[in-house]
Amino acid sequence: MANDGNAKAIEIQNLVKKYKSVVAVNDISLDVYEGEIFGFLGPNGAGKTTTIKTLLGLIFPSSGNVRVLGKPAGDIDIKLKVSYLPESPYFYEHMSAREVVGFYGSLFGLAGAAKTKRVDYLLDLVGLQKDSSKPLRAFSKGMLQRVGIAQALINDPKLLFFDEPTSGLDPVAHRDIRDLIVRLKNEGRTIFLSSHQLSDVELVCDRVSILNRGKIRRLGSVGELIAGGNVEIIAENVVADDDQLGKLKALTSNVSDVNHKLIITTSASNISKNNVLDWVRANKGDVISVTETRRSLEDIFYETVREGDSSAIVSA
Amino acid sequence: MSTIWLIANGTFGEAMRRKILNVFLFVALAIIVMTFAFTSFMPRQELVLIKSMGLGVIGLAGVFISVILGINLIPNEIERRTIYTILSKPVQRSEFVLGKFLGGLMTVFSNIALMGLAFLLLIVYKEHAINLDVLKGILMIFFQLMIVGALALFFSVFLSPFVNFFLTFAIYLLGSLSSITESLAKDPDHHKNAFVTGFFYLVHVVIPNFANYNIQNPIIHPEIHVGKEGLYIVQLIVYAILYTTILLTLAVAIFERREV
Repeated sequence: MANDGNAKAIEIQNLVKKYKSVVAVNDISLDVYEGEIFGFLGPNGAGKTTTIKTLLGLIFPSSGNVRVLGKPAGDIDIKLKVSYLPESPYFYEHMSAREVVGFYGSLFGLAGAAKTKRVDYLLDLVGLQKDSSKPLRAFSKGMLQRVGIAQALINDPKLLFFDEPTSGLDPVAHRDIRDLIVRLKNEGRTIFLSSHQLSDVELVCDRVSILNRGKIRRLGSVGELIAGGNVEIIAENVVADDDQLGKLKALTSNVSDVNHKLIITTSASNISKNNVLDWVRANKGDVISVTETRRSLEDIFYETVREGDSSAIVSA
Repeated sequence: MSTIWLIANGTFGEAMRRKILNVFLFVALAIIVMTFAFTSFMPRQELVLIKSMGLGVIGLAGVFISVILGINLIPNEIERRTIYTILSKPVQRSEFVLGKFLGGLMTVFSNIALMGLAFLLLIVYKEHAINLDVLKGILMIFFQLMIVGALALFFSVFLSPFVNFFLTFAIYLLGSLSSITESLAKDPDHHKNAFVTGFFYLVHVVIPNFANYNIQNPIIHPEIHVGKEGLYIVQLIVYAILYTTILLTLAVAIFERREV
């Protein structure tokens, strides 16, 4: 996906956001391309929501530039094409789901039958049609989240900012929303997804950045980020002297001999794997199994956050 | 439907359900109805008491409603984060501020109208006629409260509700004692230094003269006449609108740069 000819939906250049002496966002730069799902990850307090609020024009950069769909953040024309689902959204409690979604529709100039049709469609989409007339004060957190998603789609947006969209949802609703995000991408929309649900991010995002302490620590496609796992090769009947075993150890990260079988661990790159397989064959061995052990995004996230203060951007 | 009107309607619906405002409304209504109890006083004084007490109660309840509403209109939206979903839509910050104010004003108007209607019906019951002077008194209270609400909203864009509550009330009290600040500013005996008289002059000029809007006295005492009453009322209304416009303009200018 990424930048294969697509225009930039979001451009962030050297963004810095300070609150007095606290640097919430520290000189970050990244581009998000139209049509991709971009995962914006980081632990609490990493600067994710600050960045999103800057992109929406709710707060202003201390320095640096942010552009959304080619225009400065907060531009009123851009807001027609953008939507935002904040984390744990709150709405006027006296209104019903239908009234709230209708209210947001009216802010986009929707009226009459067109508004009713759109509201009906969205309430149906998020599974709230049955409860659409109840006041929101009677809604659970998960139901409010669904209202939030419905309001975020009211303007048929080109670019969506989702901040923890599956927060408070039960597993079924969680999956529904994840599928909806993929569907929105397939319709050609751009999605900027901030989430702690790393398995979801790994599954749906094209590219990911991991933010920690206001800086981007990792940036790249999901495949690139989780690349670099290991491969375990088990071989038997190997006839090798110490010199040959020395050569094997130079190719691998670990070699052990268990019950006359060699268990060889090496990096998952094709070159390393093939070098080891060639060595086994050259030494008259039989390959019993080749098993790749894949790293997850969660592993990468954990490593990144543990790296702590490292200031270098690691671009995959 | 304009954006300002949409936001005003949302604000009005929310505000009319706020329990604390309803408490003031119902207490005020109860006190107005209780003025029936004054029938045991001498009949000649009965109506004077009823009018004085009724308008006073409406004014006081209205001030509490306006201040409590005004100081919370915008901070509540920020605290509960409803502002995020609204300002991320095609809504100008100026439209948001004006919509919030209009919604608040509609709430104050509804409360005053409810209290005023109850009061007027009571007067009609007592006097067997519609008293237009009482109606003018209620109208003036509304315009007074418009300024109070605008003051509270203006301070709310850069002060916490707690500080704002005391500041708005302090200004209301100062404005209600305008004749005192005026006499302190004049200093006919030259006892004070220029700085002190200058300060009181500034206070007198900048802070609205809320006492002017309490036209209960001429109503209660019909023997006291205000020359050209119609012009006087129009001037007060124009002053209220101008003062409110200035406050809202300043509030919008500050809120444009406010981070939410």
